[in-house]
Amino acid sequence: MKDVITLLTPRICSFKAKGFSKNNTGGLYKLLLFGTIGLLFWGGIFAVSLHVLSYFKEIAELGDILACKLLSMVLLTFFFLLVFSSILTSLSKLYLSRDLPLVHSMPVPSYKVFIARWIESTADSSWMVIVYTLPVFISYGIVYQTGPFFYFNVVMTLLSLSIIASGISALLVITAVNFLPASRIRNICIFIGLCFFLVLFFTFRFLRPERLVDPEAFATVLVYLKTLKTPAPPYLPSTWAFDSMKALLYGNLTEGMFQVALSWSFAGLMVFMVIIIAEAVYFKGLSKTRTVQARLFNYRAPNSLFLKSLSRPVRAFAVKEIKTFFRDQTQWSQLFLVAALIVIYIYNFNVLPLEKAPIKTVYLQNLLSFLNMGLAGFVLTAVAARFAYPAVSTEKEAFWLVKSAPIPLKNYLWIKFIIYYLPLLILTEILIVATNILLKVSPFMMGLSIINIFFMVPGVVSMGIGLGAAYPDFKSENPAQTVTSFGGLLFMMVCAGYIGAVIIIEAGPVYNLFMAGIKETGLSAFMWIWIIGSFAIAFIINILAIVLPMKFGEKKLSRLLI
Amino acid sequence: MIELKGLTKRYGNLVAVDNLNLMIPKGEIFGFIGPNGAGKTTTINIIGGILAPTSGSVMICGINMESYPEKAKRKIGFIPERPYLYEKLTGMEFLKFIADLYGVDEDVFLIKSREKLEMFLLSDWSDDLIESYSHGMKQRLVMAAALVHDPEVIIVDEPMVGLDPLAIKMVKNLFRSLAKQGVTIFMSTHTLKVAEDICNRIGIIHKGLLIASGTPEDLKRNVNETDADLEQVFIRLTEE
Repeated sequence: MKDVITLLTPRICSFKAKGFSKNNTGGLYKLLLFGTIGLLFWGGIFAVSLHVLSYFKEIAELGDILACKLLSMVLLTFFFLLVFSSILTSLSKLYLSRDLPLVHSMPVPSYKVFIARWIESTADSSWMVIVYTLPVFISYGIVYQTGPFFYFNVVMTLLSLSIIASGISALLVITAVNFLPASRIRNICIFIGLCFFLVLFFTFRFLRPERLVDPEAFATVLVYLKTLKTPAPPYLPSTWAFDSMKALLYGNLTEGMFQVALSWSFAGLMVFMVIIIAEAVYFKGLSKTRTVQARLFNYRAPNSLFLKSLSRPVRAFAVKEIKTFFRDQTQWSQLFLVAALIVIYIYNFNVLPLEKAPIKTVYLQNLLSFLNMGLAGFVLTAVAARFAYPAVSTEKEAFWLVKSAPIPLKNYLWIKFIIYYLPLLILTEILIVATNILLKVSPFMMGLSIINIFFMVPGVVSMGIGLGAAYPDFKSENPAQTVTSFGGLLFMMVCAGYIGAVIIIEAGPVYNLFMAGIKETGLSAFMWIWIIGSFAIAFIINILAIVLPMKFGEKKLSRLLI
Repeated sequence: MIELKGLTKRYGNLVAVDNLNLMIPKGEIFGFIGPNGAGKTTTINIIGGILAPTSGSVMICGINMESYPEKAKRKIGFIPERPYLYEKLTGMEFLKFIADLYGVDEDVFLIKSREKLEMFLLSDWSDDLIESYSHGMKQRLVMAAALVHDPEVIIVDEPMVGLDPLAIKMVKNLFRSLAKQGVTIFMSTHTLKVAEDICNRIGIIHKGLLIASGTPEDLKRNVNETDADLEQVFIRLTEE
């Protein structure tokens, strides 16, 4: 056990050094910012859960069934989330970490290395899921007025579920690594997970849950409620957790303790089995991952006329960026997500029940079209956060090539800007035009939307590239994750402010112009001055949004020590 | 040629490079040696235009690095200590990327790239992704890339790390031959034997200060030990 604790020491020390260093004031600010956001999110989940459960409690008979079904679903989701998250974490911790050669060169049996890594993986993969599901369970305790033992039981149940999920994941991983290279398993898992999520999301979206509020569909809901009483499969660990919590919600202490004991006995069995199997096959699997993997597809160079027409440095970076993107299989899943986002976004507009709204359709269509500019802007921000923001960080430790190359950093950043600007402009224009066609908006609104987006896209892309350059992370194994850093958060907030400001400034003038068009009346001189002034301010904001972030990024990046 | 005037780099209170003055003429191989943390890599990075000095100037072939960084960098072939590259490109694609950045003529590139890949024994792997290369292969690829635009100055940090004996011999011969053709080479190394073998002059840096500079014979005379080898000279000069 001493060896295992020693192996865990670097992690504990680095955590201490990161969080509690006296000189780390910047880190403290970040901690404070992220802590506040995390706390708000936690509070939000708690408030919503409490509200929903209180509402359920008020419905006689049906309320308890719904609350139990919800608890069962939360626990089932919790369990599968843990399994999936553990698979990815344990793959990285057990087979892909950079420090593995160092750790395995030490005079410690490999099963002890495994145990230390597995403990780390279990903690890393489950702490966040536990923290953010706790408010749901606390809400149950409050609404059902349970005693303190319920809360103790919640903690014990969640811990046992985390160990079971992590054990199942570790067994799956150590078995699979003996057949497939570890890096490929991770890509496959991410891909399968994404497909699973998309199928679930599409299914849910195409079921059109908004119809549930339509009284004509109520008969279908009653049929649906009948299925709510169907018991969950008894062999699933989440069912034991559910049975335990449910028993304690209704004051049945013995049943509750029996079920949690069942869960812990299985967790103990999992620990025992995982260690036995790891001792037999972990090191063999690790040795296999150290071999070079073959290429999945032989992607050839893009050689279009467009690329040929670019200047040499621009082409060099464009070709490098395209090839790197398409050869990195972890990136492909992002394309699926973007495609799904577009389909869902357009579909949502297609099923809008405008004709049933009490407001005049023409007015509503154009109002939605105007707001749609903001929505499309936020979608653009989300996509840019994934692609444009990490663009500089994707150079990773090869950034010395850029620094030593005979091109100014300014040009390098503008090359990155162009590479991401064009596809993002096309994407956003497709979104805005397609949704406007579905909304059957006036030509004025169509023109305004296209022009507005044309000017907003460079602003958002510039913020992505500029702030990504100001806060790069060249050491990250997956630069896409840099968006969750301080700089990424700043990018999101600045973009939201920018899009909001442009939309608010244009709202009044657009309304007046639109109404004048509908009523076929003229506008006063004051109105014209207001309209021109507002559009001029929006234009200036757009220009500043393009220029300032790039300058900021260039300045910070040039000072960066590599 | 390379000219360093009053080059200083501070990291907070730490002076990594302290008032470094050097003049390396055309066609000379200058070896830069010193203990760990002496300021070698910082100096190399400043000469390569990767790092800005706190004060002082770097002239590459008469071009001021601070005033005209792109023009100066065009003259340099930079080889860092650790060969971090774009792992998802093939060796040939990486050379093309570098050639495009340095504006090498397309036809010239075709000849040069084949020539360099062959020289560094990488022809058989030119269409493989860099991620499948060993450390030594990556190091050789970086060297090939640094030469693809015919630089007038080569800045190289620990050139022999990760290379096999055959490659070390080849690199030594290559540097000698490049120097004969008028290429100036600034090389930092821990391998004192290599420095002694190929460098015309050697500079010893310690705690950011250039404490000695000259031919290997000059350095030996400095410590009054004409029979000593460079290792003994180095230890004498850098010991506390």
